[in-house]
Amino acid sequence: MSETHPEVHERWILRTELLWAFGVSVFITATLSMILFTALTMAINPPSNVERIDPKALHLSGEFAEHNLGTTVSADGSVTVRAIATQFMFVPSCIAVPTNRRVTLRFASPDVIHGLLITGTNVNTMVVPGFVAQVHTEFTRGGDLLMPCHEYCGLGHSEMWATVQVLSDDQFKPGADGRISCAQR
Amino acid sequence: MPVEQPSTVDSPPDAGDGIDEAALASVMRSVPLGATVLAGSAVALLVIGYLLIYLLVFIPRGSVG
Repeated sequence: MSETHPEVHERWILRTELLWAFGVSVFITATLSMILFTALTMAINPPSNVERIDPKALHLSGEFAEHNLGTTVSADGSVTVRAIATQFMFVPSCIAVPTNRRVTLRFASPDVIHGLLITGTNVNTMVVPGFVAQVHTEFTRGGDLLMPCHEYCGLGHSEMWATVQVLSDDQFKPGADGRISCAQR
Repeated sequence: MPVEQPSTVDSPPDAGDGIDEAALASVMRSVPLGATVLAGSAVALLVIGYLLIYLLVFIPRGSVG
């Protein structure tokens, strides 16, 4: 068989394709192993809180009634933020949070599926009607962060965003009822 | 006025295509290497970008679950 016989070329091409497939398999295996490793050892998983809530009655009573929205500091010092994602706004539109303290963020939707992220953090979750979306985080830098809706929810989607105001310890002073709103600047 | 090209419908596949078989064979020898280098460098850049963001941005920000 001469060196220029078509079968020789086909063999080279097949060998290259097999090598490529091997390389891709190694990369995919390594990536999946890395994700599995961080999920098991560092608990880095997608938010997966399964907690049901009646979307038709959100505003009437209970946790997501209007008077209960915003940031609350409990007697034990834990900070909880409750907000509603609705077409086409977040209620409240500004959320005050402390620096370097664990914060629990809870969201619910009365209408359609929304999503949100907070810039510069790993906060990123869907807000599905009928469920409470819950994530925990710790804000390490002060300042105003943008919190846009990242799941298309209708014609006003691009106008749907809120501000997260990260306050330092001397600025984060909740009232006697444990509630705190954004500082006016 | 364009010159009419002779139809190739009735010709055998390799007849008269004006390609030198030796030159074709020489090109074909370097095709797998060239494809590997091109696709390899494109994928390598993508993988490096992914790893840098995953290890230097995503992981240090920690879990939110």
